[in-house]
Amino acid sequence: MFKLIFIKELKEILQSSRFTISFAVCSLLIILSFFMGAQNYLSGKAQYEAAKQENYNQIAANTEWMSVNHSIMLPPQPLMALVTGISNDIGRDIEVRGRGELSAQNTRFNDEPIFAIFRFMDLEFIFGVILSLFAIIFAYDAINGEKVSGTLKLCFSNSVSRASFIAGKLAGSFVGLSIALIIPLLIGCALLPVLGVNLSSDEWLRLGIILISGLAYFGLFLALTIGISAMTNKPSNSFLIGLVVWIFAVLITPRASVLISGRMVEVPNVDEITSEKNRYRFQLFADDRPKMADFSVPEGTEPHLVMQEFSKFMNELSEERARKTEIFEEKINEQYINKKRQQERLALSLSRISPTSVFSLATTELAGTSLGLQNRYMDSAQDYQQVYNDFMTEKTGSGGMTGFRMIIRSSDDSGEEPETIDASELPEFEFQKATLSSAANRSLIDLGLLILFNVVFFGGAFFAFLKYDLR
Amino acid sequence: MPNADSSNHNTMETANETIKQAPLLEARNLTKVYEDGVKALDNLNIKVMPGEIYAMLGGNGAGKTTTINIFLDFIQPTSGNAFINGIDSNSDPLEAKKNVAFVSENVQLYPNFTALQNIDFFVRLGGKSNYKRSDYENALTRVGLQSEAFDKKLRDFSKGMRQKCGIAIAILKNAPAILLDEPTSGLDPKAGKEFTKLIGELRDEGKAILMSTHDIFRAKEISDHVGILNNGELVAQRTNAELKGVNLEQLYVEYMAGYMEETNQNLVLTNDLN
Repeated sequence: MFKLIFIKELKEILQSSRFTISFAVCSLLIILSFFMGAQNYLSGKAQYEAAKQENYNQIAANTEWMSVNHSIMLPPQPLMALVTGISNDIGRDIEVRGRGELSAQNTRFNDEPIFAIFRFMDLEFIFGVILSLFAIIFAYDAINGEKVSGTLKLCFSNSVSRASFIAGKLAGSFVGLSIALIIPLLIGCALLPVLGVNLSSDEWLRLGIILISGLAYFGLFLALTIGISAMTNKPSNSFLIGLVVWIFAVLITPRASVLISGRMVEVPNVDEITSEKNRYRFQLFADDRPKMADFSVPEGTEPHLVMQEFSKFMNELSEERARKTEIFEEKINEQYINKKRQQERLALSLSRISPTSVFSLATTELAGTSLGLQNRYMDSAQDYQQVYNDFMTEKTGSGGMTGFRMIIRSSDDSGEEPETIDASELPEFEFQKATLSSAANRSLIDLGLLILFNVVFFGGAFFAFLKYDLR
Repeated sequence: MPNADSSNHNTMETANETIKQAPLLEARNLTKVYEDGVKALDNLNIKVMPGEIYAMLGGNGAGKTTTINIFLDFIQPTSGNAFINGIDSNSDPLEAKKNVAFVSENVQLYPNFTALQNIDFFVRLGGKSNYKRSDYENALTRVGLQSEAFDKKLRDFSKGMRQKCGIAIAILKNAPAILLDEPTSGLDPKAGKEFTKLIGELRDEGKAILMSTHDIFRAKEISDHVGILNNGELVAQRTNAELKGVNLEQLYVEYMAGYMEETNQNLVLTNDLN
């Protein structure tokens, strides 16, 4: 009986005009998102290569390592274009100095501010917002529509158990509607290599899990809507309830959870922290002023030796200030980060009430564009800063280049241009992507919750129908 | 010593008599009181034997559809039982429903399916999976559906055409009992006549048919028994023989008028109290 109802449901969906329209719209959106994602990735990659080359050229034009201003950039990843997460919101360029705090500048929105308003149409958006709405449009009259039309009564005038009917209906609806998604998703995947986006096996696997999560997310909205349909008598009522649930799940809960956590855990703002750090730096400099004023050398010392002594003296002061600043900033940053993480953890926990948040967290984690991206980028930058500092120390005798720099140039009268530095000696920056296993581990809770939501909503729909008034 | 053949013949006759005597549809002391206190059925007793048509007459809210709903296990009776072929439809509904086919007042099938696809689904749902396309076509032809309509989607069908599909499904299910909930309501006279003829044929094939209807003339024309329900109570029951020479319309109106008077009295009483 289950098989008969399952096949009937499948045929009915595939023959409906609703399916034809949805299939066309889904195909258009999904293929477009893959196409746009691929285009974004390729242009981002070209932009990244050009910026990297420009940075290299600028360095290579220098005659002294001391004069080098070096920037590193966040390399674009194909999955970042398909599931953008926070990748467009964080600064991509970091100016690396041998020592001191690093800050990332120049987000994607600096170049294209219009996207800050309208955002990108990536897979997360399509599944999270559009397809969840499609699930409601498709299933709001799954049960009560049959009741109103009278087919439910005719079905149950036969020897049909409610359990097999609802199970067949749920499975048939899910499989039928999944076809509208799977076909364009497969076409989208096939488009990637055609468009020149070559994914590694690791990335294919991640994409596969993301797409399965998308189907699970779609499935839970479908089951939820069928459940609502099995608890109401009129399709108009179930549509309205479904829409309200959708608004809360997709639009309100994720935003409200951030708002509530912001109220519950107070975190000092960045300006306050920066101002505190600046005050400390000025204080240290003010403390050093009398020492600078007291600088002296024995009379009769050669001028170039005076300059050398002074430079050495200033360097020592600067190093000492940098060391103290580092300790202070480290402490204050740690406090800030701890508070911030506490706030984030609370916001994330609260937001997990919504399946949309759960889906977003799972997919961005798998795509490597979750909140952790910023930390990973900064960690990679800090690791690189250490390597860069060692390199510069080797080259210039001083790696710490915070504060002011005094460069002493000596020239001869030969008229020869000084030789430029060899920029290729500079150590390469390597961005540490989250490994598949660590990404999978971190997304495990959210993937588990997606499964749980599915079980709860499919179970809910099932049990709601067992008590449904068939008349 | 009695002849062996004659003995067998007698045994078969006795068996047929026994089968003939066992009702295929039986409402026994059936009472239904809804949660809001409304009494929809009050101690209803009905028996429909094989090869019989029982017509339930009554106004809106008389309890006709409630009776059918209890037989189909859509609602549970407050007390009493509804039996289909001897099986209590509320304690073993899946088994009971194997023995009954149902045609509603307004047969609705899946609009995206063709007539044949709908028939195939509902007949399989009724437990018959050995039919061929030609069997479906024969059944549809028998109920008077034109062959051009067989592969058309139901969304383009008139009510009469849908009713024909409904009765074709019931024929193909080949259940011993049939429940008809105002099956001719809304049909044009020609379609109504065709439908009545078909019901008669099914009765002649030995089916037990319980039919709720407002159509007094058609009820008298084809029924073997007519029961008049008023406020959930079976207020009158006549056999076809008893109805010969009786003006059923008058009988019906008399009972309904009695009901109306009672209702008017209640209304007057309520107004006086207010």
